[in-house]
Amino acid sequence: MNAVALRRTGRTLPIAAAVVLILLPWELSLANQSLYVQMGQYAIVAVGLSLLMGFAGQVSFGQGAFYLVGAYVAGVLATRYHWPTLATLALAPVATAAVAWVIGLPLLRLRGHYLAFATLAVHLIVLSLVFTWSGVTGGEIGLIGIPALKIGSSHPAGATYAAIVWAAVVAVALVSLALVGSRAGRALRAIAASERDAAATGIAVGAYKLRLFVLSAGYAGLAGGLFTYQLHYLSPDSFAVILSVQFVVMIAIGGMGSVYGAVFGAIAVTLLRHELSVLGTRPGMPLQAPKVLAIGVFGLILTVVVLFFPRGLLPALGDLTGRFRPQVAEIAPALPPMPVPGEAERAAELESLRGPTDAATREAGD
Amino acid sequence: MTAFLQYIVTGISDGAAYGLVGIGLVVVFRTTNALNFAQGVYAVVAGMTTSVLVLHMPLVLAAVLAIAIVTTIGGLMGLITIGIRGDTTPLTSLIVTLGLTLIAESCELLIFGDGPHSYAPIANHAWDVGGVLVQPQYVLLLGVTLVVTLGLNLLFRKTIVGNALVAASDSLRAARLVGIDTVTFGVVAFGLAAFLGALGGVLLTPLMPVAYDSDLNIAVNGFAAAAFGGLVSVPGALLGGIVLGMAENLVVGYVNPQYELTIALVIMLALIGWRARHEVSTA
Repeated sequence: MNAVALRRTGRTLPIAAAVVLILLPWELSLANQSLYVQMGQYAIVAVGLSLLMGFAGQVSFGQGAFYLVGAYVAGVLATRYHWPTLATLALAPVATAAVAWVIGLPLLRLRGHYLAFATLAVHLIVLSLVFTWSGVTGGEIGLIGIPALKIGSSHPAGATYAAIVWAAVVAVALVSLALVGSRAGRALRAIAASERDAAATGIAVGAYKLRLFVLSAGYAGLAGGLFTYQLHYLSPDSFAVILSVQFVVMIAIGGMGSVYGAVFGAIAVTLLRHELSVLGTRPGMPLQAPKVLAIGVFGLILTVVVLFFPRGLLPALGDLTGRFRPQVAEIAPALPPMPVPGEAERAAELESLRGPTDAATREAGD
Repeated sequence: MTAFLQYIVTGISDGAAYGLVGIGLVVVFRTTNALNFAQGVYAVVAGMTTSVLVLHMPLVLAAVLAIAIVTTIGGLMGLITIGIRGDTTPLTSLIVTLGLTLIAESCELLIFGDGPHSYAPIANHAWDVGGVLVQPQYVLLLGVTLVVTLGLNLLFRKTIVGNALVAASDSLRAARLVGIDTVTFGVVAFGLAAFLGALGGVLLTPLMPVAYDSDLNIAVNGFAAAAFGGLVSVPGALLGGIVLGMAENLVVGYVNPQYELTIALVIMLALIGWRARHEVSTA
C-alpha cells in the first residue's frame, strides 16, 4: 500500500478530531459534561492498557488500582497537607508509576500471566489499605473537602475542566503514537511478534515490558488525579474491582495495541455503563438489577468478543466495512511481516529470469 | 506457645482449601496452558448451592449434588473456553474465563442475592489437643485434600490419561498428531478443576462464609498457592496453600487483624516474586 498517501490523509483527520473532542464540552449539557469528563479519564487509562496488552502481551487487572492511587495521592496531598492542587495533579502519575515499577520489577521477568493475578491482588490490597488507613484516606466515609483545581488564579470547572481532561487525552494519545513509531516502539513490536526472537536480537524484553507497564500505570494515575478534581470527593466505592475489569472490556472492544481503538472503547463502554445504570434503576426493577446488568453484560462482551473477534470489536467491524482500517503500525502484531520496499519488484525480476520449465516444476511440486 | 500452635493448625486447614483451589488451576494449566480465572467461582457456587439445598435434605446429599452441578458448569466453561475455537492463546483463555466469571457472578446475584452464605460444619464441638482446639471440619478438609493430592499426582504420573493430559499442554499440535482429542481433554480438565474447587468450597464454606464476589479473593489465593509450585506441580500447590494459610493466620494473630487481606496478598506477591527469581535462575 502507498504509505505516503496514508500518512498524508492520516494526519489531518486526527488533528480535526482532536480539536472537536477538546471543544465539544461547550456544546454539551451539564449532565453530559460530567459523563464526557468520565469518558476522557477512562480513555487515558485505556490507551495505556491497550499498549500493554497489545505490545507486552500482558493483561493487567490493576489499572483500577493505579487509578485509585493517582486519585488518592492528589486528593490526600491537597486536602490533608494543603499542597498546591496543580502540583498534586502532576505528582499523581509519577507516584503511581513508582508503585507500578516496584510491583512490575519482579513480575515482568516471568513468562506467562502472573501479572494478571498479581495486579488483581494489588487492586484488592490498595482497596483494603484505603479502608485501613482511614485517618488519612477517610476510609469508608470517604475523603471530603477536596479543594478545586487551581491553575494560575482561575478554577477551571464545567466545560473548561472537560476540555482540560480531553486535552490530556490528546496529549496521552500523541505520546503513545510517538512511542509506537519510535525505536522503542519497533522493539515493542518485535516483542509482540515473538518474545524469543526479540530477545535473540538483543532486545531487553523484560526491561521494555516493565517500562510499558510503568507508563500505563502513570497514565492511570493521571486519570485518577483528574477524577479527584472532578468530584472533589473520593470514596472506595468508586474503585471496586469491576473498574479494572471495565478497562479490559474497553480494550476488547477497541482492539489491543490500538491508541484510537482504546479511546473508542472507553467512549463506548462509558455510554454502555450509563445506559445500563439507567435501565437497572428504573422503577419496578429488582434491587440487584444494576449490578446484575453491569456484571453480566461486561462478562458477555468479554467472552463473545474475545472468542469471536480476538483482535477487537472495532477492528473486526473495520474489516467488514473496509473502513477504519487501523494503521499498519498499530496492528502489526496481527499481520505477517511487512514487505521490504522493492522486494516485490526484485521477486518479479527473479521470476522473469527463471526459465518457464523452472516455474512449471515448482507449480507441479506445490 | 498454645496460641502459636492454634494459628498453625487453623493455617494448615485454611491452606488446604487454598491448595485445593490452586490444584484446580494447576490441572487446567497443565492440560490447556490456560489460567482459569473462574477457579474461585466453583468454590463459591458450590458453597452457596449447598447452603440452600441443605435446608431440604441431608448435608452429604446437598454437598454431593452441589459438587455435581458445579462440575458440570466447569465442563461447560471448558467447552466454551477451549472448544469453540480450539486454538485459543493463553491470553485469550484468561480473558474468556474472566468473562465467564462475571457471567457466573451475575447469575449468583440473581439466584442467591448479594449476602454471605454459610451452613453448619459437620460437628460443632472441637477436640482439645493440649490446649489447641481442633475442629473436625479442619481434619476433614485436610484429609480430603491430601487424598486428592495423592490421587492426582498418581493420575498425572502413572496413567495414560494423565500423560495425555500433560502431553496436550506440552505441544497441542503434537498431541493432536498422536491422536489426543485436545478439546475433550480441555473439557475434562476444566470439569476436574471445577470438581476440586467445589470440593474446597463445600468444605470451607462452614468456616468462611461466601458471597457472590468472594470468588476473586479465592482465585487469587489459589493462584498464589499454585504459583508456589510454578503452576505445574500438584504437591507444590498444596504446599504453597499451606504456607500461605499459616502465614496469614500468624499475621492476623501477632500483627494486626485489620491487615489480614493486605498481608495475605503481599505474602502472595512475595511468593510469586520469589518464584520469579527461582525460575529465572534455573531457566
